[in-house]
Amino acid sequence: MDRNQLIKWLKAPVKMSHKYSLHAVYFCTGCGIIEVPPVITARWDAERFGVLPVATPRQANLFLITGYVSVKTLRAIIRTYEQMPVPNYTVGFGSCPINGGMYWDSYNTIKHLDKYIPIDGWIAGCMPRPEAIFVAVTHLWTLIDKDMADGYKRYRKHYRLYRANQERVLGKLEWPPLYPIEERDERRTQEKAVVDVQ
Amino acid sequence: MQILEFILSPLMALVIGILFLGLSRKIMARIHWRYGPPLAQPLIDIIRLFSQRSISHGRLFSAGLVFALAGSVVLILFLPIGRIAPLSGSGGLLVILYMMLLSPLGMALSGGQAANPNTSIGISRKLLLTLGYEVPFVLILLAVMTHFETISIVGIVERQQQTGWALFTSSLCIPGIAYLLILPAILGIRPFEMVKAAQEIASGPMVEYGGQFLALATIQHALSEFIGIALFVNLFLGGAGNPLIFFIKMLVVFSLGLFVNAALPRLRIEQAIRYLWRWPTLIAFVGLIVVLIIRR
Repeated sequence: MDRNQLIKWLKAPVKMSHKYSLHAVYFCTGCGIIEVPPVITARWDAERFGVLPVATPRQANLFLITGYVSVKTLRAIIRTYEQMPVPNYTVGFGSCPINGGMYWDSYNTIKHLDKYIPIDGWIAGCMPRPEAIFVAVTHLWTLIDKDMADGYKRYRKHYRLYRANQERVLGKLEWPPLYPIEERDERRTQEKAVVDVQ
Repeated sequence: MQILEFILSPLMALVIGILFLGLSRKIMARIHWRYGPPLAQPLIDIIRLFSQRSISHGRLFSAGLVFALAGSVVLILFLPIGRIAPLSGSGGLLVILYMMLLSPLGMALSGGQAANPNTSIGISRKLLLTLGYEVPFVLILLAVMTHFETISIVGIVERQQQTGWALFTSSLCIPGIAYLLILPAILGIRPFEMVKAAQEIASGPMVEYGGQFLALATIQHALSEFIGIALFVNLFLGGAGNPLIFFIKMLVVFSLGLFVNAALPRLRIEQAIRYLWRWPTLIAFVGLIVVLIIRR
């Protein structure tokens, strides 16, 4: 932990503050949420890492998705993700968001969360231990330090594709696009969609 | 020299306020038997928040927040911190009484534009709570002003330097106790945390703030905490000769508030109003009568 190194703070205060002030929104989708209360309370004390649970996505910059993602939940997850100010980091917790996990055959869960919103890191396991969240946080620090936690940049760059994926599952989305989609690109996706249908 | 004081006074309040935010998180963690965040954690948060952009819900949304912040900064100019008191010649306690209302009103203006149900609930609770503690607060200030026969807060501090702390004099100890009873409501800590109840109404008035707005709201919160404690130190603990002694006195009062914060659960708003309009008001009223009888 290089939190106490003054020279690093003077060189890059913004990056350091992004590393050590992770305000988290925990999205209680499935059974994974049961590991979070011990993490944020007295037993494991996430606050010593600068991780603090907040109640609203506007104040947060870490998004933890704990458990399987049903199609209905995906809509809420996308809206929550788009309300967080950039730079924001997303971590998938447990094996269900990674590849469907034990809900692989389910008719109303999605399998790869990474196709719908960008994910910066995964915590594998069913269930992961609470300590795994701290391993993830320290790993996220390394990624932020090396500018590799660039999910928000990927989302902006490939927003058209992400939006197309979201619309394929959810149908027509009722909220306007977060980033402008060029009209030429849109026509191309529509043509591609037509081709897919045929 | 006086221009220097105008800059120094809010700056010191800001540093002490943010230090108190960090201290409160650390002390609360130690009471929970946790390790807790580093002392500079609120500063890290504020740097991070200033580097992020969030959306504004309209002109009044931004302006109301700045209005609340400006109200707190101007109020600090009237408070003597040690011997530093930039606006000592004018106003005094009556101006402070008016200015205390500016920051809740600014937050209400800002929250009104946000059109979030949680914000509306939080704002209505904040204004009701303000209404609750203003009644005993006015009675306490009346008792203090009657006893010292002045409205100047610098004059009150100087009189106490000669005669000793007002909290331990026979006439002013009852209003002092009443002030201690409403101090958690002024600071917005538990049991009067219903304004920003994170688990209940998603941090209330702060729910739509993100990025720079939240940074300004955090600074405003730090300044308003500073004001609540500094007023008590000036009125009842005799102020101080220099800022360091002043800071130590503030620290003692603040940690007293933190222990109450750690020990008690959150009240509902109607319970809070019932408490504030009953016991502190009654005690403050008795104190005012005692002051009048002793002067006679």
